[in-house]
Amino acid sequence: MIGHARLFSFLLVFAGVACAQDLSGIEIHGFATQGFLFSSNNNYLTAQSSSGSLQWTDGAVSISDSLSDSLRVGIQLHMYQLGQLGGPNIQVDWALGDYRINDHLGFRAGKVKTIVGLFNDSQDIDAIFLWALLPQSCYPIDNEGFYLSHTGGDLYGYLPLGNHHGSLRYDGYLGEDYLPLDGGYVKQLADAGLQLTNEPAGRNYGGDLRWETPLRGLLLGYSPMVMGLDGASPGGALHVPSFLMTAQYAQFARGKFYFAFEYDKVPVSEFLTIGPQTAIFPLDTRSWYGMGQYRFTKKIQGGSYYSHYVNKAMNTSLPENYSKDWVVSGRYDFNSYFYAKLEGHFLHGTGLGYYASTNPNGLKPNSNILAAKIGFSF
Amino acid sequence: LRRDTSEVTRPGKTRLLILLLSFLNCGGFAAAQNVIFVVNKDVGISEIKASDLHAIFTGEKTRFADGSHAVPVVLRGGPAHEVFVERYCDETPAEFRAQWRKAAFTGQGNMPRAFDSESALLRYVAETPGAIGYVSRFSPQDNVKPVIPQK
Repeated sequence: MIGHARLFSFLLVFAGVACAQDLSGIEIHGFATQGFLFSSNNNYLTAQSSSGSLQWTDGAVSISDSLSDSLRVGIQLHMYQLGQLGGPNIQVDWALGDYRINDHLGFRAGKVKTIVGLFNDSQDIDAIFLWALLPQSCYPIDNEGFYLSHTGGDLYGYLPLGNHHGSLRYDGYLGEDYLPLDGGYVKQLADAGLQLTNEPAGRNYGGDLRWETPLRGLLLGYSPMVMGLDGASPGGALHVPSFLMTAQYAQFARGKFYFAFEYDKVPVSEFLTIGPQTAIFPLDTRSWYGMGQYRFTKKIQGGSYYSHYVNKAMNTSLPENYSKDWVVSGRYDFNSYFYAKLEGHFLHGTGLGYYASTNPNGLKPNSNILAAKIGFSF
Repeated sequence: LRRDTSEVTRPGKTRLLILLLSFLNCGGFAAAQNVIFVVNKDVGISEIKASDLHAIFTGEKTRFADGSHAVPVVLRGGPAHEVFVERYCDETPAEFRAQWRKAAFTGQGNMPRAFDSESALLRYVAETPGAIGYVSRFSPQDNVKPVIPQK
């Protein structure tokens, strides 16, 4: 009897220890943010911002575990609400297995964040940026779910180039992407008369190559991506033939200073069928931004950027075909978990961020916007 | 006369106090300047390139030069952490934290284990194969192996 009790106790203790060991490698992280938008003219990003809107909430939880030195698995659940976009549904932001053979070669498979330009894969992680809104020309928040991640696989690695030549990081991917039904593009289509009921989807492939130059802190990179989309609903269809988008970027980070520049080019034609009629919407967008930021103290950071978008396929003198945004921003970190941001936008043009349904009386060409955010991250 | 003497000596005491405080402050600063790197005793290296340190502590590299797996661990804060981040990663502690948060929230990496004290970090390095961390020069390093950064 005593022997059985001892064995039982031993098994309990052993199971407890084994369980603790298994769980000790699990990492859980999360963030939550609440934003406020106020605009002098027009309603911005589908929110009733002209009268001040708190409809800007974001949150995520990630769980990951290293199963061995080479194998890691994880998942992140994400929820956001921005005006009429997003909603209470919790979505899988990414869910992947990551097998790293050595420093030069690794594989990721599952739903993987897509690396394009400096911030595409991280644009929904508010806690890591000074800015309340990233440059909207390259990272429109109302469409952040579009090509944020792909379902497929990545091949990646790190290649040191010797003492005097810096290092390379590369990532190549093949997968499928989709246009979220609760995102901005689908809402614009709905405003135009096409109510999609299934997410338009298509194959995408591309890569990212970034060179950490021998000049300390200077990073140069290039990201090409090819993708196409097809979607249908009882009332019509959307067809976007495969197109190549490219992003070229430079970043200089040293100590308290940070500077970045990025230029994106997206030539694409959208074929929109509503009822018996098909219309072609040509786009040839050129987007770029230049930003600079400085950390004044451990808690205070400030900076400014200029974001420029123009659709060269249309008359570029019309406000609906361009968006030029001067931004001044400040961030205060209460501690390593809590922070607050305050940001002013001086926005010219209506090419980005505006929707017909939330601006039924038309749009004024210019608007000043105040964006404020508080956030928590662990 | 007594009164005069006290008026003369008071600034002298103040000066002495300032000197003492400056010395203590310099001592703290000097300690912070002398960050050393330590690894688990099973790791087969005694020197490490500064570029490898940077790559390991930013998640780009996961192996030492001898091919063994590297497990970077960090301090949560303090002078040694600040000197490490500024000198070896060219960042501020906030940017260093943001970079690891980016890795964690994009699924590209796991944050390194962070410790509140140097003694806890040293204990973990001593017990964990492949672990590498940093402490101030004056922390005891009995159960770990120091590694010397090379240019």
